[in-house]
Amino acid sequence: MAKIAASTATDATPSARTGARPQKKRKKSQIPYAAIALVMIVIAGILFARKSDNLSISWIFGIAFGFVLQKTRFCFTASLRDPVLTGSTSISKAVIIAFAIATAGFAAIQYSASLADPANIPGNVHPAGIHIMIGATLFGIGMVIAGGCASGTLMRMGEGFTMQWITIIGFVAGSVWGIRDYTFWDSNFFQKSPTIWLPDYLGWGGAVFLQLLVLGLLYWAADSFSKRKLGS
Amino acid sequence: MAEVRLDCMGEACPVPLLKTQKKLKELNKGDVLIVEIDHSCAMKNVPEWARKEGYPVELEEVDEGEWEVIIELNK
Repeated sequence: MAKIAASTATDATPSARTGARPQKKRKKSQIPYAAIALVMIVIAGILFARKSDNLSISWIFGIAFGFVLQKTRFCFTASLRDPVLTGSTSISKAVIIAFAIATAGFAAIQYSASLADPANIPGNVHPAGIHIMIGATLFGIGMVIAGGCASGTLMRMGEGFTMQWITIIGFVAGSVWGIRDYTFWDSNFFQKSPTIWLPDYLGWGGAVFLQLLVLGLLYWAADSFSKRKLGS
Repeated sequence: MAEVRLDCMGEACPVPLLKTQKKLKELNKGDVLIVEIDHSCAMKNVPEWARKEGYPVELEEVDEGEWEVIIELNK
């Protein structure tokens, strides 16, 4: 019997369940498949490296992200949905911690880049405005209905959940449509909003500190929310 | 002391959880609810929710990528 969830001490085996249960099918070992997949990953990585180093680095990072995502059940959708639905904020807190780590990492990358060449700092620094709120709301509605955000959908496709194969068709179609009209939205709306890059306003220390402070407050809010809601 | 099976195969998160919450309201003390799921996300939030409600929960992988969440209504 494969027990996936870690049982807590309070769990008791349901005693009322005494009826005969259908015999379980014997599971095939998946280790040969894993070995074949690993060999293919390595071969693909070598082939990518012959074309460009960055390609194979992206490949390895992509595989690693997928692995972590699947094993941890990390889900951006659940991080925002479960607090409303169940009062649980365990995934929300995980996402906040991930943001905090990313903040430190990006600060290090951008800071070292700004020392080398202040005009050319990596990162997606884009205009912020009402369009972000509208887009985020639409995306939020969509991802809860679809049962996963972009990364979650990809991960569950790999797990063999067929409904998400339909989701990905819609996702790709929507993205392509968005790119088709991107220049229109960009010149008429996005460029009219200010581009805010916190280090310009607060300096490096202030920007990183403020962002970590906000994330810390969100973590505290998420933690006390679940405590109040679940009383645990 | 009924044993009720709830078929959530092919249902994406959060539908299994919502169905479970709805079904549990109809059941009585001593009943056992078996939720059949094949969405890995539900494997996390259904047991998590039921445990927090105070029910004993067991999770069993019955086949590749298919699980049964067994919830005992002990109250």
